[in-house]
Amino acid sequence: MAISQEEKAAALAGLPLFQGASDESVARLCAVTGEVEYEEGQFIVRQGQVGSGLYIIVSGGARVVTGSHELARLGPGDFFGELTVIDQQPRAASVQATSSTVCLAIASWDLLELLKSDPALALNLIRGLAARVREQTEHHRH
Amino acid sequence: MALSQEQLVDTLSGLALFADLPRPQLEQVAHKMSEESFPEGQRILRQGFSGTGFYVILDGEVAIRIDGSEVARLAKGDFFGEMSVLLGEPPVADVVALRQLHALHLGGPDLEGFLRDHPSVMFRMLKTVAMRLRNASRWRS
Repeated sequence: MAISQEEKAAALAGLPLFQGASDESVARLCAVTGEVEYEEGQFIVRQGQVGSGLYIIVSGGARVVTGSHELARLGPGDFFGELTVIDQQPRAASVQATSSTVCLAIASWDLLELLKSDPALALNLIRGLAARVREQTEHHRH
Repeated sequence: MALSQEQLVDTLSGLALFADLPRPQLEQVAHKMSEESFPEGQRILRQGFSGTGFYVILDGEVAIRIDGSEVARLAKGDFFGEMSVLLGEPPVADVVALRQLHALHLGGPDLEGFLRDHPSVMFRMLKTVAMRLRNASRWRS
């Protein structure tokens, strides 16, 4: 299944990570975003690996696992890998396709280069992460 | 105790946040940010009240407290205040000086322009915020 440039741009612009990013930033992201297909049971990323990229599920589904323990289920629109791209820490969990699954993928190197050369995008991402720190903290309190 | 411009630039060059900046840019940073001192026990940011800007610690130590309980400590080279400034929301924690604190301050409205002018500082801040998100998720569990 080939994803059109328009669909790609819409999927990227719709991510909370890139919310508010300019059309120019989204176009730059699009240019480095690839499409990858996985079969049922195939691992998209493995626990312990240093982040190879950011993944966005377009169709199909996946489960997040540590060892044999399932932490979450992911579906279209869900994304993962953004933290390990930024801080280059090993992945905390594996993600395994539960059916035939298509992802958009941005390689770490490309995303980091973009963030370094596109201050608006970087600022946007800091805001997004900061909002999640806040949510986690509020969640902790209530 | 105020540092001379040259001492301040030397100090800044030793902080991770500014490690990638060449000397002329460090001089700009020293010029844009103002030095402030706080006595032991002073609350610099107050949970739930409006933010007062972005701070980089030059010397001393602060505690980050949420509802009175300490969740982290920050020391020389660390920074705080950026989240509430960038989100335009009140601080989510108290920041309290554990001993005499010497810090650089940048007013909230100036932070965004400052980061755009210094992309390497922005990138280091991004890494730190990512790390804070990891830590915040850990608090929850």
